[in-house]
Amino acid sequence: MVSESMGSSIGQFSRWDGLHRPWSNGVELMEDAQKNKHVLSTGCEGMDFLLRGGLHKGQVTELAGPSSSGKTQFCLLTASTVAYKHMGGVIYLDTGNSFSAKRIAQFLNQISRPAFDEMQPIVLQKVMNSILCQSVFDIFSMFDVLHCLESKLKSQMCRGDNDEILIIIDSISSLITPILGSSGSQGRALMVSAMSLLKKLAHEYNLAVLVTNHTVGGDGGIPKPALGESWKTLTHVRLLLSRDCGSDTYHVSLLKHPSAASGKAAKFIINN
Amino acid sequence: MEVGRLPISAALKGKLVSAGYTSLSLLSSLSPSHLARGAQTAWDMLHEEELLTRITTSSVDIDNILGGGISCRDVTEIGGVPGIGKTQLGIQLAVNVQLPIHCGGLGGKAIYIDTEGSFMVERVLQIAEACSNDMSATNTVSQDVHAGKVGMQPRDFLENILYFRVCSYTEQIALINYLDKFISEHRDVKIVIIDSITFHFRQDFDMALRTRLLGGMALKLMKLAKKFCLAVVLLNQVTTKYAEGSFQLTLALGDSWSHACTNRIILYWNGNERYAYIDKSPSLRSASAPYAVTAKGIRNSVSNCKRIKLM
Repeated sequence: MVSESMGSSIGQFSRWDGLHRPWSNGVELMEDAQKNKHVLSTGCEGMDFLLRGGLHKGQVTELAGPSSSGKTQFCLLTASTVAYKHMGGVIYLDTGNSFSAKRIAQFLNQISRPAFDEMQPIVLQKVMNSILCQSVFDIFSMFDVLHCLESKLKSQMCRGDNDEILIIIDSISSLITPILGSSGSQGRALMVSAMSLLKKLAHEYNLAVLVTNHTVGGDGGIPKPALGESWKTLTHVRLLLSRDCGSDTYHVSLLKHPSAASGKAAKFIINN
Repeated sequence: MEVGRLPISAALKGKLVSAGYTSLSLLSSLSPSHLARGAQTAWDMLHEEELLTRITTSSVDIDNILGGGISCRDVTEIGGVPGIGKTQLGIQLAVNVQLPIHCGGLGGKAIYIDTEGSFMVERVLQIAEACSNDMSATNTVSQDVHAGKVGMQPRDFLENILYFRVCSYTEQIALINYLDKFISEHRDVKIVIIDSITFHFRQDFDMALRTRLLGGMALKLMKLAKKFCLAVVLLNQVTTKYAEGSFQLTLALGDSWSHACTNRIILYWNGNERYAYIDKSPSLRSASAPYAVTAKGIRNSVSNCKRIKLM
């Protein structure tokens, strides 16, 4: 028995009329990459350098780190930078009541005029109105929100205007931890299902996705990203963040990247 | 939506799929819904954040580093060694939340969930009396007196603290699940204090089960804080952790729990003085402030060399 989605996928390949073929060749991909802006700067030079420009649209980036290592700060900084510099919509899913509009305003004032007065209220309002924040407290509500987003993006695409360019989920590990590991593999199936939905949204609607993960103790007490072995394959880019105790200096290392050598590290400061 | 992503049991999903229903559209007709349900823009949240009042801790130094006090819609974890004053701070907050807004409270009730049995009602009476005396001393010509209202008596303070005692982890989880319904019926509750959150999870636990249970509990508390706009304060114990070749003191329940709170304050000894240190916060700077535990409750430290250290 073939389900309707399988039927439509097969139809996509067998019905093409020679004009809109379902494959591209390498040259077309290269020209597209060079012409269109596919990279979103994060606002932090060290991170942008490590990520070869920033967050890539169509890819899921994971930021893992121990508690209070700066993951939320980095998410807020990236949201501010994308909203201001790239004039794009940001969807911020917050699982720990950590979204701080006050901090976003502080970052925006820093980005726009580092040395001068504060940003004009009208501009601040316009930029902050493009950052949408929603609290989600379990994985099924996250599915709900993502499905609503999908139908909204589909109708926007038909009209030709595509506003949103970044989805941030801080943190996806707190949604997955309560369901992972119980008897049966339903938890892992939900985790894989969630990531495949995010990747589909990222690819079809040309969005960048940033998710945060916590860490657990690894060999020798060195923290390693949580969520287990199968999680490692689900994201495109993986970063490990840490902070020197009591200071403003952050260390980030690249664990996995499709086009950069892993193991590289960078150091940066986010101050007040 | 695929049937695999619905919040129903695995057995039911299996039955639906084997009967041929693989997606929700086959079961019923879908209507498009909007993302606007529940989402807010950052600009609206900025104004809401500015209007949120905070609960004073009765120590001006701690209030200063906290930006005014314990904030609502946040889950704040307070941890420290035994004897540092966690329960004292919990009791002080349960009393302070009842103060009117112009005195640093929220005019609401408190829920106190006791897991260890460290809630001493005589001490609460002592703190409530001190609070009531302080209020009448400072408000000699106040709006309350003009309106003919009598100031709050210690007995009123006691009446507004709703006390639950839980004796096992299953009771604790059941209670937290029940709180949603309870607070819907008691809308004037403005703070939930759990003392301590760790006690029933520290002995004899399968680690994987513990991580799942704690993760679920953390999400429910976050949801409560956000939905009813109240403060959730969790008191935690310390344990030792072996890291970088030495034993360090760290909060109990492990790495995964440390991500379950919005803000974290660590109480510690520095010589003979008690200090509070902001360990984690989305919008406050790391800083530490001294405080003292007196007969009247938590107050400012009165030593000569006190100073607020900004990290």
